[in-house]
Amino acid sequence: MSRGKTAIVGIGEIPTGRHPDRGAISYALEAARLAIADAGIAKDEIDFVIPTTAVFSFQFSNELTTCRLVEELGLKSVSANATVFSGGSSSTNALRIASALIETGRARCILFVHCDKLGTGVSAQGGIDLFSTAGISMEWEVPFGQHYSTVAALATQRYKHETGTTDEELSAVCVSNRKWAELNPNAFFRKPLTLEEVMASKMLATPLRAKHSNMLFDGGAAFVVTSAERARDLVPRPAYVLGEGGVVTHFAYHQEPDLTRFGWASAGRQAFAEAGIAPSDIDVAEIYDSYPIYQLIAMEEIGLCARGEAGAMHLRGDTWPGGRLPTTTDGGMLSKGHIGAGGSVSLLVEAARQVMGKAGARQVPNCRFAVETAVGGTYMDAQVTILGNEP
Amino acid sequence: MTGTAPPAKPRPVVQPWARPFWEATREGRLALQYCRACHVHVHYPRIACPHCGGDRMEWRTASGRGTIYSYTVVVSNAPSAFTADMPYVVAIIHLDEGVRMLSNVVGCDPDALRCDMPVEVVFERIDDEFTLPKFRPIEA
Ligand SMILES: [Zn+2]
Repeated sequence: MSRGKTAIVGIGEIPTGRHPDRGAISYALEAARLAIADAGIAKDEIDFVIPTTAVFSFQFSNELTTCRLVEELGLKSVSANATVFSGGSSSTNALRIASALIETGRARCILFVHCDKLGTGVSAQGGIDLFSTAGISMEWEVPFGQHYSTVAALATQRYKHETGTTDEELSAVCVSNRKWAELNPNAFFRKPLTLEEVMASKMLATPLRAKHSNMLFDGGAAFVVTSAERARDLVPRPAYVLGEGGVVTHFAYHQEPDLTRFGWASAGRQAFAEAGIAPSDIDVAEIYDSYPIYQLIAMEEIGLCARGEAGAMHLRGDTWPGGRLPTTTDGGMLSKGHIGAGGSVSLLVEAARQVMGKAGARQVPNCRFAVETAVGGTYMDAQVTILGNEP
Repeated sequence: MTGTAPPAKPRPVVQPWARPFWEATREGRLALQYCRACHVHVHYPRIACPHCGGDRMEWRTASGRGTIYSYTVVVSNAPSAFTADMPYVVAIIHLDEGVRMLSNVVGCDPDALRCDMPVEVVFERIDDEFTLPKFRPIEA
């Protein structure tokens, strides 16, 4: 790929929450219409649609794959509707594929849409059971009681052992992300959260506590990607795609060679090299935070701080509103809420929003460069995207 | 979740080339694949060597000893089939043969567990077909 040839020109998002009376399709349609309007295009300029999977319902996901969005939105100029799904890294992979299609002339204007209904479409225990098998080996892990809390706890335990990071520093991630969620009307948890509350919350799987865990909700978001040339004519501040990097490391979690690092270092190097900037140039970091441990590891490994330092940064307030390195400014999965593949859709949309200067109370001043990270399955891949306000 | 029995424990969904592993655990042995081209052990069992792609794979009986790479004690919000087992320990074991395995650590005080602690295999029969390899700390 080449730097700055494509851009996100429109974003749309509905508030994360519990909407038992609304069908999931309504979130997708509303987010898509917002994104199309934001891009300042007519709906029939969309010539390619990329939905991603909604985890709550196989039937509904099949409807998205079989062109329901194209029909419901009344899009008349679509050459292809093709689902891209890689769990939590779906947004990044969709953007990567969209950029390639646009650069090669296969598409001009691509709509990506995500929605899910994990807050009201499945029961609480159903959610635990669903995530005790999704991306977890049925032969080598499921029979031993592996599930998403143990997956995160295993990385947290080893990381603490190797870096000396404390429970207080780990918990500071939750506090930092909540400070941003307080400023985000689309976030579910908007009341202040203290370090004491996090550390007193129910233990799930040592050393992981309830408030270290994301919660599942309903929601949806969408974005529109087009060429850099077209972008300049459409909107005053497109979010140009400057760099992308990725590394796939494993399927079964126990096969990951280093649970304290994953593939982030290489993914980060690729993305920064393509963008032609250094980690120190980054104005805002949107870091995949399904559990605090992953926010710490990704920040360190992509070079935003030294190994073992990320926890202290969160405790000191470097990552808070007004801090030196605003991080996960939509509140993340820990406070905005987890909507399946939507975790990184939210973060990518927020990265674009910051670069486009549309983040309202959360706007980082003079935001030129944003880095976003995404990861799917049981942290099977490390995906890094860099957006900027100039091509 | 009241009024209904918890679902049965999930049993391993076995790939044909992994059958020797499960046959061995039934006999109280831990068996690992070994690539005679790469001279390394492989786990979990593969249809071909993940390093060289070749099929010069043989089964060898392992020492059953290793160390805890990482662990966690599950005390709440377990999957339905495991709620009755809480507290239980999920751990990644680094075997002396150089491969990793996900398992449970049993027969110990969970508070006494540490990363890098030495462990040895024990076998837990769950039915006529399956015996799961689990681990316990080696007394110092
Ligand atoms: Zn080999």
